[in-house]
Amino acid sequence: MTRSFKIGIFDGEEKFLSSVKLLQEQEFSIFDVFTPYPVHEIFHLLKRKSKLPTAAYLFGLFGIIATLAFLYYTSVIDWPIVYGGKPFNSFPSFIVVTIVVTILTVTIASLAAFSARSKLFPGRDNTVFDTRATDDKFVIVVITDISDKSRADKAGSLMKENGAVEVYDKEFENIKS
Amino acid sequence: MKKQRKKPGEIEDLAAGNNGNIDGNHDDQLLEMFDADFLKKNSSRRDFFKVFGFSFASAAILASCKRPVQNAIPYIIHPQEIIPGKSLYYATSFYDGHEYSGILVKTRDGRPIKIEGNALSAFNGEGTSARVQASVLSLYDDARLKNPAADNSPVSWDAVDKHILDVLARINSDGGEIVLLSSTIISPSTIKLIKEFGAGFKNFKWVQYDAVSYSAILEANSVCFGKSVVPDYNFRNASLVVSINADFLGTWVAPVHFIPGYVSRRKLDNGEKDMLRHIHFESGMSLTGSNADERKKIKPSEEKTLLADLYNRIAEKTGALTYPGPKFKDDLSDLADNLIAAKGKSIVLSGTNNVDIQIIVNGINSLLDNYTQCISLDNNINIASGIDSTMDNLVSELSAGKVKALFMYNVNPVYDYPDSQKFLSGLKNTELTVNMAVSLNETVGKGKYECPVHHYLESWDDSEIIPGQVSLSQPCINPLFNTRSFQDSLLKWSGSSILYNDYLKMNWENVFFPLSGMSDFRTFWNKSLGNGVFNYKVSGNKPYQFKKEAFSRAMISSGNTTSAGYEVIISESIALGTGMHANNPWLMELPDPVSRQCWENVAAISVHDAELLKIETGDLIKVTEGLIIPAFIQPGQAEGTISVALGYGHSNSGPVCKDIGVNLYPFIRISGGNRVFGFNTDSPENTLKKTILALTQVHSSMEGRPIVRDTGFSKYKNDPSSGNEFHKEFESTHKSLYPEVKHAGFHWGLAIDLNSCIGCNSCVIACQAENNIPVVGKEEVIRRRIMHWIKIDRYYSDTPENPKVYFQPLTCQHCDNAPCENVCPVSATNHSSEGLNQVTYNRCIGTKYCINNCPYKVRRFNWYRYTNNKAFDFNTVSDLGKMVLNPDVTVRERGVVEKCSFCVQRIQEKKLQAKLENRTLNDYEIKTACMQACPSQAIVFGNLNDKDSKVSRLFEDPRCYHLLEELHTLPNTGYLTKVWNDEKQNS
Amino acid sequence: MYNRKIRGPLIEGNKTLSQITNDVSAPMELKQGTWWFIAFGISSLAALFGFYAIYITVTKGIGTWGVNNSVGWGWEIINFVWWIGIGHAGTAFSIFLLILRQRWRTSINRAAEAMTVLAVMSAAIFPALHMGRVWLAFYIFPYPNTRGPLWVNFNSPLFWDFAAITAYLLISASFWYLGTLPDFATIRDRTTSKIKKAVYGFFSLGWTGSSRQWIRFESLSFILGGIAAVLVVSVHSIVATDFAVGVEPGWHTTLFPPYFVVGAIFSGFAMVMTLMVIIRRIYNFKDYITDNHMDAIARILVFISLIMGTAYATEIFIAWYSGNEYEMFTFFRNRITGDYTIQFWGMIICNALIPQLFWFRKIRRNWVGLLIVSLFINLGMWFERYNIVITSLTKDFLPSNWVSYKPTIIDIGVYVGTIGIFVCGVLLFIRYIPMMAISELKSVARIGDKKED
Repeated sequence: MTRSFKIGIFDGEEKFLSSVKLLQEQEFSIFDVFTPYPVHEIFHLLKRKSKLPTAAYLFGLFGIIATLAFLYYTSVIDWPIVYGGKPFNSFPSFIVVTIVVTILTVTIASLAAFSARSKLFPGRDNTVFDTRATDDKFVIVVITDISDKSRADKAGSLMKENGAVEVYDKEFENIKS
Repeated sequence: MKKQRKKPGEIEDLAAGNNGNIDGNHDDQLLEMFDADFLKKNSSRRDFFKVFGFSFASAAILASCKRPVQNAIPYIIHPQEIIPGKSLYYATSFYDGHEYSGILVKTRDGRPIKIEGNALSAFNGEGTSARVQASVLSLYDDARLKNPAADNSPVSWDAVDKHILDVLARINSDGGEIVLLSSTIISPSTIKLIKEFGAGFKNFKWVQYDAVSYSAILEANSVCFGKSVVPDYNFRNASLVVSINADFLGTWVAPVHFIPGYVSRRKLDNGEKDMLRHIHFESGMSLTGSNADERKKIKPSEEKTLLADLYNRIAEKTGALTYPGPKFKDDLSDLADNLIAAKGKSIVLSGTNNVDIQIIVNGINSLLDNYTQCISLDNNINIASGIDSTMDNLVSELSAGKVKALFMYNVNPVYDYPDSQKFLSGLKNTELTVNMAVSLNETVGKGKYECPVHHYLESWDDSEIIPGQVSLSQPCINPLFNTRSFQDSLLKWSGSSILYNDYLKMNWENVFFPLSGMSDFRTFWNKSLGNGVFNYKVSGNKPYQFKKEAFSRAMISSGNTTSAGYEVIISESIALGTGMHANNPWLMELPDPVSRQCWENVAAISVHDAELLKIETGDLIKVTEGLIIPAFIQPGQAEGTISVALGYGHSNSGPVCKDIGVNLYPFIRISGGNRVFGFNTDSPENTLKKTILALTQVHSSMEGRPIVRDTGFSKYKNDPSSGNEFHKEFESTHKSLYPEVKHAGFHWGLAIDLNSCIGCNSCVIACQAENNIPVVGKEEVIRRRIMHWIKIDRYYSDTPENPKVYFQPLTCQHCDNAPCENVCPVSATNHSSEGLNQVTYNRCIGTKYCINNCPYKVRRFNWYRYTNNKAFDFNTVSDLGKMVLNPDVTVRERGVVEKCSFCVQRIQEKKLQAKLENRTLNDYEIKTACMQACPSQAIVFGNLNDKDSKVSRLFEDPRCYHLLEELHTLPNTGYLTKVWNDEKQNS
Repeated sequence: MYNRKIRGPLIEGNKTLSQITNDVSAPMELKQGTWWFIAFGISSLAALFGFYAIYITVTKGIGTWGVNNSVGWGWEIINFVWWIGIGHAGTAFSIFLLILRQRWRTSINRAAEAMTVLAVMSAAIFPALHMGRVWLAFYIFPYPNTRGPLWVNFNSPLFWDFAAITAYLLISASFWYLGTLPDFATIRDRTTSKIKKAVYGFFSLGWTGSSRQWIRFESLSFILGGIAAVLVVSVHSIVATDFAVGVEPGWHTTLFPPYFVVGAIFSGFAMVMTLMVIIRRIYNFKDYITDNHMDAIARILVFISLIMGTAYATEIFIAWYSGNEYEMFTFFRNRITGDYTIQFWGMIICNALIPQLFWFRKIRRNWVGLLIVSLFINLGMWFERYNIVITSLTKDFLPSNWVSYKPTIIDIGVYVGTIGIFVCGVLLFIRYIPMMAISELKSVARIGDKKED
């Protein structure tokens, strides 16, 4: 299906932020905002949260247990060998490997999670609302309803009044956030 | 083992099926590939292929077979004692014209691969020298002569024989002189044969010639006692030995024979209460000197004064007649007292080839009546019976053209006769010259005919090294080349049709069989062939009368001939001896025990002189005209003397030794009819050119670390653990984080008695032969990459002018807490359940971490591919040389780490044997190669879990300690402290 | 959080956001100067030499090196540790400063991380090459196999090492790549060339800069930063255990792990400084990499050099205090005196003394001074590794095994080769990847201005 959006371009962080606030007060549904660098206020305004830390913690837990289990199995159960008079389960020397492997597990797993959740992967189509967002502009994208033209204009004018350097409409075939 | 020793001689009979050992049924002689009940089964497809393959194989074998030779083993009829993959031992004897040993030859699938001492041989027992150990490689030397040749072009034996017989007949008919020039021959049968051969001619002379001769001793004994022999020195009965310039543990007369006796009187591991004391006078630092309790430096020119003075002192004290003469620089009364105190139980000997000196030595010995039990003229050593003067006469006859026909056997005068040019020109004047040598040497090709002889491992012979001790030699492999034994040639040329092994048998039947007191000759023959030796009682031991008149002449003439400049001593080297085995890369790479240097000979010069002449080790110095040689600063070298080794500088003895080192024979002079191994020169000059010597050890001080622990005998008697205090301290303090690993069943251990080890290095070669250790060549040795698994470290203490010398065999210590095991990432090295530290070559990826982390640095790395590599083209690399490889030991690939395995292949072999025979292993049953070769039995291997095993008892000995035990590596190798005998016999 | 009174603005000259974009992407868009091609030529020649040496080593054997029966490890391990040390800078730099919220890192971390990746790659060549049978290197992977399965020896520091290096390479690479995502997107969106668009588009993985991506991006960088910080410490500690677990005198000491980590960061920061000094001069990045940045690094260096000095002193003191004769010998007769005095005193002078020059503000703010001192530090750190590896092995427990060590042309070749590879890598990086994290720069562009404080 086709969806239409009202796009506002700002070149200052402050004006951009205030108009996001305004739009929310007017209960416009903001599709997303695009910024050249992370703007933390926005995260609060749009209630953006990330569960990555929790996930990473679980990955780590898994890593530790799996590694230790593997080490114990290989060097005590499967094929025990005496090295320099050490017992088969020479735990102290297992610690090092465990740490390293755990870290590796966490990294790779979190990267995977990241690319899955935020849909970043090689060959992803590079459709963007406004290319200037990666340079110096702050972009607000408001979801507008084609049927209700006036409300869309209201959003546009609101942004204009609040110092948007440019406001325009844009339509997209089946876009995913 | 005894059962295994069969003689191939019997095999032909078996094949012919003409004796009772086997009935007509030949099933048991089918190849191993057929299982026992093969014939009963009705054949399956599998069987068909067996037969199919077998018949093809045999067809191929037959096709490739040469004309059946005596004692060939046709595999179609499977000889009962040959089991593929199982070692077979033949008793035989090694004799190369200078050195004798009774040996066992380990053959594998028809290939001799290892030499081991024959315990039944009273002469050397299980001990062997490095040269004997290495001789098996000479069998597979590409430099061996492979065909008879006339004027250096190969011809058939028939042609050679025909021509030689014709010429001989002609020469003989007009009474021309025919001479046989051979090395000393100790084979009774051969001697008989030569006599018969000579009897066939009007004018025949047999000259025996030794590159390094003992003719002065022979002459001295003949004038003193009327018996021209080299006596046997019985160190077992001696309690004091005074030796002058005689390296009797290294090169002099018969070291492998002397060492066991000498060491047995110095061993302390059964709580002995007395110990042989050894005082040594010498110029160069020899192996013997470094083992002496007291070593004094003298110049060769001082020796006569020393002996004369010593005699006078003893005479004074014993009230015998003294002679006027100069006094020795030091006071000898103390030494005299000691000798008198040890009257009858002492030995005085000198290695100098000078009749007067030897006569005085005899005088001293008879004055101390040492001839009763310590020195035996009856059981003399039949070695080196060559008299220098006869050889000299022969050479002048040759050049005078008096000799018409010259047969040479096992001699190389072109290389080792001082005036080789004269000899060569003599050859030219000789009508018929026949040379009979095993392998290429300088004399080969100089005469008309080359009649190459078998290697000793291919030939029949017997030898009588000491009257009453006869031993047999038997072929252990078919002749590899188109050669013929010397004796067969003689038989041929004396027109006889019989073969030497029959001749030998007959001779034994006539001579020795009667002495055996056995009824049936066949059993006697088999027995002696099985044992390799046969001993009989010699009559005699009549007291010899010491003839004074010759003696007084010698004493009077004892003028002191000191010279201004430097005195050069020319001596045999431990590795190469006279140099006849120089083409053997194992020996070439064997470091000298004292200088720890290999791959060339050097001029050893004293520390003081080196400073004086501004010479450093490695400088090329000009000792005299035509002698430019690298210098080596040798601690303990007498000031004003220079020692150089013989045996190097070959021009045409094979690729390995070509142009390596300098040949010293041309510098040997002849005075008073005897060769003088040395000369005088004014000070050597530094050519300011440098060479890098192949040193295997550069640092000689122990840096005060408790590495070799020693003590004096007097201290030892009060406290056996003296010198080993550190061990006690360690035992009391050592703790372990983890519980020590317990070894059920076996726990292998190795004990090395530093008091017995004299550092002769034969274990090194034994190990090399057993474990397929590659030779790496001079360049790699210089880069400190020698591959020897066991090496004998040498340390000095005290002053560099005259240091105490310590030898320490060092090999993998097989630590129970091995640092190397812990660090290998791929677990290629780990600990076996029997306490072995093992390396899995296939698993090793060569990180070399274990090499770094081994505190003993006994691990070796295959830096290059040493096999099939032109860059390392030594004998063992050629197809022929590969036949010496031990199939039980992996040949290591490039890039893997290797090291001593405690000869794990031998351990497994014996374990399996014991298992088959359903019994427990006996102590001493498993012998590592080093332990087996050791002539002084300094190395003992065994099971530490068995509390009565010898090794366990040695580990309990208060003298026992572990190297670097403070690192808590818990080695399974123990060392026993070195004990010097500092006790003077006081009268 | 950040007080401009003390350090001044992070980015000078009051840049607008688009200015930043233009400035940083300039080197990738403008044509490179001839110096670039000359430098690239020389370094690729060096690399070729290296490849030749590697070829000889692999075909002929380790015998072509200077190592022997007593000294199993030579130049190759020295260089390995040296490179790994350098490889620590980037990650240490960006990560420690990231989790400490030191935002002045932004102008440097990208280059530092790139350097890390390249250095670790150069380092990784050595252990592989060092195997006698490199074609069997896969034996070190503990994977189920048909040989038992025979696993590996988890007690071996070399295995730890292998694991750590692998992990470190992967993580620092991915951390670095993650940082580049927004910048690739920037270039994708500003470039006119089709190819560039496609390539950078591919590597930007479809980055849009939406708030959703940004928040995950930030939390991920903090996660990676957090655990990678642990890794940075552990990696070089593990490299240290290669020696500390050994019995050799001068190796067997608990001091090594911290000592190695600090040393690594030391050499890494020095290398960062070397590169930065050059880059900022060539590309005139003074506004982004300000004198304050250099000053800050210089201060860190002088501090670390004091730690190093202490470590050296401690080692020697312990050797004496323990009364262990082997330790005593190694330190007093084979390092302080003996055949290897040059390396030892070189280490002391370069690492402990010369950096003290950074006490002077003049030198901290003079690019020549910075360059020279940083080069000396890199040299000194090489000497340090030489001391550790060679002197301990040449003369250890049994005097009969004592040897001397000399490198061969092949040893040198491999080393020169890795330097060549490293420089090539840096040059390519300059050319194709934004040298500074554009987005991060933008986020700190305002810091130090009137608005924020």
